[in-house]
Amino acid sequence: MYEGLSLEQAPPIGVVFRFFLTLPLFGIALSALMIFFPTQVLSVGDPISLAALHLLFLGVLSMGMMGALFQMHSVLGGKPLPHPVGNARIIHTLFTVGIVALVSAFITQFALVFVIASVFLGSSLVYFFQRLFPLLLGKNHNTLGGMRLSLIALLVTVIVGIVMASAYAFGDFSAYHATLRTIHYSFGVMGWMALLIIYVAFQVVEMFYVTASYSAWCQHNVGRIVATALVLKALWLFCAFPFPWIFDLMIGLLLVGFIATTLKRLTNRKRRVREVSIWFWLLGIGLLGGALGAYGLSIALASPVIETMSLIAFGLFVLSIMMGMMGKIIPFLVWFHLNAQGFKDTPMMSSILPPKTLMILFALLGITAFFGFFSPLLPWLLSVAGSSSMVMFIALEKAILGAKRAYDHTLNCGEKWTFEIPTTVPN
Amino acid sequence: MILTFMRDDHRACDHLYTDAENALAAKKVDEAHTLFDQFYRATNHHFDREEKELFITFEKRTGMMGGPTQMMRYEHQQLRSQLESMKTALSEGRHTDFFGIGESFMIMLQQHNMKEEQMLYPMIDRVLGGDAALMVQTLQAMHP
Repeated sequence: MYEGLSLEQAPPIGVVFRFFLTLPLFGIALSALMIFFPTQVLSVGDPISLAALHLLFLGVLSMGMMGALFQMHSVLGGKPLPHPVGNARIIHTLFTVGIVALVSAFITQFALVFVIASVFLGSSLVYFFQRLFPLLLGKNHNTLGGMRLSLIALLVTVIVGIVMASAYAFGDFSAYHATLRTIHYSFGVMGWMALLIIYVAFQVVEMFYVTASYSAWCQHNVGRIVATALVLKALWLFCAFPFPWIFDLMIGLLLVGFIATTLKRLTNRKRRVREVSIWFWLLGIGLLGGALGAYGLSIALASPVIETMSLIAFGLFVLSIMMGMMGKIIPFLVWFHLNAQGFKDTPMMSSILPPKTLMILFALLGITAFFGFFSPLLPWLLSVAGSSSMVMFIALEKAILGAKRAYDHTLNCGEKWTFEIPTTVPN
Repeated sequence: MILTFMRDDHRACDHLYTDAENALAAKKVDEAHTLFDQFYRATNHHFDREEKELFITFEKRTGMMGGPTQMMRYEHQQLRSQLESMKTALSEGRHTDFFGIGESFMIMLQQHNMKEEQMLYPMIDRVLGGDAALMVQTLQAMHP
């Protein structure tokens, strides 16, 4: 029954840093594509576009979400991951090589590179699922239930992705290729990413910002409704029934509800102290609203350009929430691990990742979001967005390295509390 | 029953802390001192309720002496130490330090609360069964 509740069960700091330090590097590569190939990046189905899309959704967003999950599952699930350092090393290495291979495969179109990418990405994500999923079982808790559904959606995304990669590798596209592509991005975007963020929001918004709870009905049913809608949509597509967007509408309405309730909670929050992470949440929620509005419009007008705007806004929504959370997780982990080891001079969170740095990152994300969102209308805007995101990812990498340096410095040079036990009784 | 009662107590403590933090952010220093004092006493009282009554009963019923309750006591120690640091920072007028320590304290406290609410309290509810109502009365009767 009991498998560990201690804060000591948290994985070593290097486990999470490994993922967080890698994601800005993929962000820099993505920015370079945006700066130098804006038109190709915005052309649906173009190899450069596919490379950019996977750099964003795998290299940046999934890399960060996996790192955060390594930390969060121990708190929420209460079961520590066995051998966290070794497991993180295996998953991270396979995943990183897989992303590099996939991006190279899209650009070079070499069949063998697609096979290599499938092997590495497939093995890393299946292994990640196989290690983490059992730790989330056994407890009837909404957030854990949401995380389980999210991981299942990731697994479906990966399996369908591998099938699609083999089609790209051998140029053998079945009649179901378009169906598979829709299932691949629907499960990836709505199942893996949106569900995880929603369930993390249920937990952290109330706790970090001292707000009213989300309704019990919401917490209990959102995951089930999204999962049902995704499965039905997949079946609908395979049967070639009309109006598959009905299921998108279903999920869209839920997301509108999520936006409204989260905004209400954040604006009525009891904790009024100035907090940059709130800005990231508000921007993220605004971008999700933009993504939903653009998606609805794209269906009504049958406009692929507006659909691209929707996808860009959705990616930026996830990025905004993720960066806001990283702004809390990174300094907390440094502080927590040093404090737990008894260092007297453990730096405060605000000096590990100063609010000023977070404000700069927020401003850069805001610029990237503005120009990125409108870039499908004027492709040269994507180069501006790419320049801004390039600076942002470099600044993010520098900030994470700075936090890591602060940790290493205290670890090597810091002074620990000592408790001397007197050996003689004073007179 | 235990879950609901103790969860409400967690939220009440959160609100007291937020009031103190908001008052200090608004430069209402005297008010912040009063509110922080209320939070300080309420949080320590919450820990006492657990350590002096709830955990002991759970341990007697289950025989689990070195399990989750021991871990929670260890975390209480860490949180108490942070609480003292905040109190000192506030009394010495080091308001930036107060906010700084408060930030890490708040995250640590919320992680701690999350574990209690998701795992320990439901376990205690199951173990106490029909006696949970009596335990709530006992906890209510404890004075700070």
